[in-house]
Amino acid sequence: MNTNETKTLNLLKKGEKARVKKIHAKGKLLHKLLDMGFVNRVEIEVIREAPLYDPMQLKLHNYHLSVRKSEAMLVEIEDCK
Amino acid sequence: MNNIKVALAGQPNCGKSTIFNMVSGIEQHIANYPGVTVDKKTGFFKYGNYKIEMVDLPGTYSFSSYSLEERVAKEFILNETPEVIVNVIDASNIKRNLYLTFQLLEIGIPVVVVLNMMDVAKRREIEIDSKKISEMLNCPVIEATGAKGVGSKEIMKSIVDVATNKKSYEDFKINYEELEPHINSIEKKIQENTFHLNKRWLCIKLLEGDTTIIEYLKKDYPKIEEEIEKESKIFHEKYDKDFPSFLASIRYDSADIIYHNAIEDKKSGIETLTDKVDKIILNRFLALPILILLMFLVYQISIVWGYKLTDYTWPILASFKNFVIDILPQADLIDVPMITDLGVWMVNSANALMNYIPIFFILFALIAIMEDVGYMPRMAFILDKVFKRFGLHGQSTLPLVLGGAMVGGCAVPGVMATKGIADDRARMATIFSVPYMNCLAKVPFYTLLLGAFFKAQMAIMMFFISTVTLFVALIVAKLLTSTILKTRETAPFLMELPPYHLPTVKGVVIRAVQRVWIYIKKVVTIVLAVAIVLFALLQFPGIDETSKANFENDIEVALTKFDRATQSSSYYSEVDSKQKVSQLLNYYDSYRAKKMTLSSPEESKKVDEDFLQKNSIFFKFVKPLRDAEAKKINAALRKLSTDRKRVLRSIKNEKIENSLLGMAGRAIEPITKYAGFDWRINVAFLSSFAARESAVATLGSIYENNKADSMRAEEAMSLNSGYTPLHAAAIIIFMLLTPPCIATMIVVKMQTNSYKWMLFAIFFPVTLGIVLSSIVFSIGSYNNYTGVEAMTYFYFAIVFIALIVALFPNKNINWEGGIKPKISTK
Repeated sequence: MNTNETKTLNLLKKGEKARVKKIHAKGKLLHKLLDMGFVNRVEIEVIREAPLYDPMQLKLHNYHLSVRKSEAMLVEIEDCK
Repeated sequence: MNNIKVALAGQPNCGKSTIFNMVSGIEQHIANYPGVTVDKKTGFFKYGNYKIEMVDLPGTYSFSSYSLEERVAKEFILNETPEVIVNVIDASNIKRNLYLTFQLLEIGIPVVVVLNMMDVAKRREIEIDSKKISEMLNCPVIEATGAKGVGSKEIMKSIVDVATNKKSYEDFKINYEELEPHINSIEKKIQENTFHLNKRWLCIKLLEGDTTIIEYLKKDYPKIEEEIEKESKIFHEKYDKDFPSFLASIRYDSADIIYHNAIEDKKSGIETLTDKVDKIILNRFLALPILILLMFLVYQISIVWGYKLTDYTWPILASFKNFVIDILPQADLIDVPMITDLGVWMVNSANALMNYIPIFFILFALIAIMEDVGYMPRMAFILDKVFKRFGLHGQSTLPLVLGGAMVGGCAVPGVMATKGIADDRARMATIFSVPYMNCLAKVPFYTLLLGAFFKAQMAIMMFFISTVTLFVALIVAKLLTSTILKTRETAPFLMELPPYHLPTVKGVVIRAVQRVWIYIKKVVTIVLAVAIVLFALLQFPGIDETSKANFENDIEVALTKFDRATQSSSYYSEVDSKQKVSQLLNYYDSYRAKKMTLSSPEESKKVDEDFLQKNSIFFKFVKPLRDAEAKKINAALRKLSTDRKRVLRSIKNEKIENSLLGMAGRAIEPITKYAGFDWRINVAFLSSFAARESAVATLGSIYENNKADSMRAEEAMSLNSGYTPLHAAAIIIFMLLTPPCIATMIVVKMQTNSYKWMLFAIFFPVTLGIVLSSIVFSIGSYNNYTGVEAMTYFYFAIVFIALIVALFPNKNINWEGGIKPKISTK
């Protein structure tokens, strides 16, 4: 795998898992993301996309969350090890 | 008796409200926090010698200041200083809920943790060692199941224990490791102050960049912001980390430690019932049909069946009206005392709104059920993409449906349902879009016009009417969000999809009753005030002397006829004076009115007996049976009653025509003539603002003339008005776009918290309506379009515009940051 690539959450497909690497957001959105559990190294699974392909349903910290792709794009991820 | 003030805090969907309802019983107050539209629920209960006041804080994931709810919750803790915080936790989802618990513990006010939904946790075979959690958190932890009323006594006992043994309470501390030196350094800076709040907590909040706390401390420490900046810089250089994310990570790590020590989740990773249900409900192909079906059911049960229910509640309101008429001074032939007129007018206005209470009760109960079950966020999840295009939000679905996305909703519950929308800009846009939906009270008006002018094309016209408003609403939403609402805060779309839960009957009923009560209290009082104003506008200056003399002459003629017809009867002595006749007439009208509201033969008998007792001779004339002499009087009486009604109606019409509102209707004719409206329509629109139902009544009474007495209103209108179907199309278009009624506007005021927005919600649609109907009418008359042609062109133009505006994406502002899409390669 090429380590120079930046992969973001919105590109994950249904059933795939990844870990949060970094959050590229500031202010209100950053706080909201942190409060909802997007902290470093947390594992996220994509459960499904909405019927119209946006938003997406995620599972993290054992609960379900829906996120628009525009917001998911701000979450940088890395593969689970 | 001692008072204890308690704050109830918890994350959304943790079952906080069930706990609140469980301990606080029926005595609850619901109001708004000053200046914001967030609910403030206060409940009271007694335990031993203590009276406990419990304030239900808005559900929050965190205690920062980034959303309205969080700000309200935190300001309550800061300013009202509760003695105990009760923190409700979803026992089946402890790990994430602890994130808030840590923040509450740090505040320094004693905390009681309530593990709610223990039954769900047990069912999922999650074993919880609450003693261990209590040791680790250093606070009481109580197991409870709010939905089944388990744990109520224990919670009350703990609150009192904790409040009375404050001294033995120990501060709770999380070790923030690398952050500690920075906390200490800030703590030293604010040392010499005597805050009632825990200093360490203030420092942590400062480092987190909490604006409320920074403002709070700035008064005494003007330099505090620079200090934080400095610390933040050092920390960033040393560890390449920022305070907020570091704090969040540590809190989640700490939650993890407790989770691993005290909880054993045997079935972890196994598919839950919620997962299975979601597979169907959120399925790509099934989701939309299911949603439409559910919406249809909600609509059917509340609006359609609820409306049928009003058949049973209406007699109650009607008998109330009769009661009021009975106690008001009686009319003397055509001389109706103004106080009677006003009384009847007020009761009619109130009844028109009270009539909706059964509908609202069912509707609010169904919404409460959907909220409790957990379907609401899923609905938003399914439809967000469509609404996002128009600056709305997935959560706008329900308000629009309730407002009448199909024909005949009601904008009042629709606007009220916007409360939960997190995105402020979308919430505002939804509030202004909902009134475009077709309200139930407008339907009779459409039916009247369709019956009068579009008999052959009724179906297609009804289709246009019922669907065009949705497109208009979307266009308006887009227009507003990209102009005057542009600078409004938007919220990132991060919505929990909570597990499905069975709602409790008590919770649903309490919520439905509370919401109906708010409606009655706020709406009816203000509507009555407006009704008085409208009454005055319709009454003054009244009719002039010559027409008065004419009407008196009319009634004299009718009386003479009555006299002549009854002279031969042996009962003539009972009706030989004007006064006696007048009494008999009132007796007759009151009897008829009472009879009309009855449903069973027994009730009918009862009324007969009452009237017989009141006046046995008059009763013979009203119900002559086989008495031939009485029958003569009965026949003449009927005729006289009809004559009197006709004269009264003419007086009313003339009064309207000469009234201030009539003048207003004339005054705006120069503008409305471009849409083809004459003053009559104007008056009907103006007066129907109190309640849309009265548009038909006003139009009906204006167009009825003496010759067309036996005609239905539709026929009278198509014959007497001189209107063409094109006029009717313009009128329909205007009616489609005008806001439903004053009650809706009051609710808009409640939800936006501003009279300015309320006025906007009145004048913007009216302007839009008059402009569009003028355009349609002018183009239509220039090209000689028929009504249906004009409506068809209008419809397709609106749909086309809606599609065009959907192509422009909406910009989300006010939350900065982000990486550009170009680096997200795959």
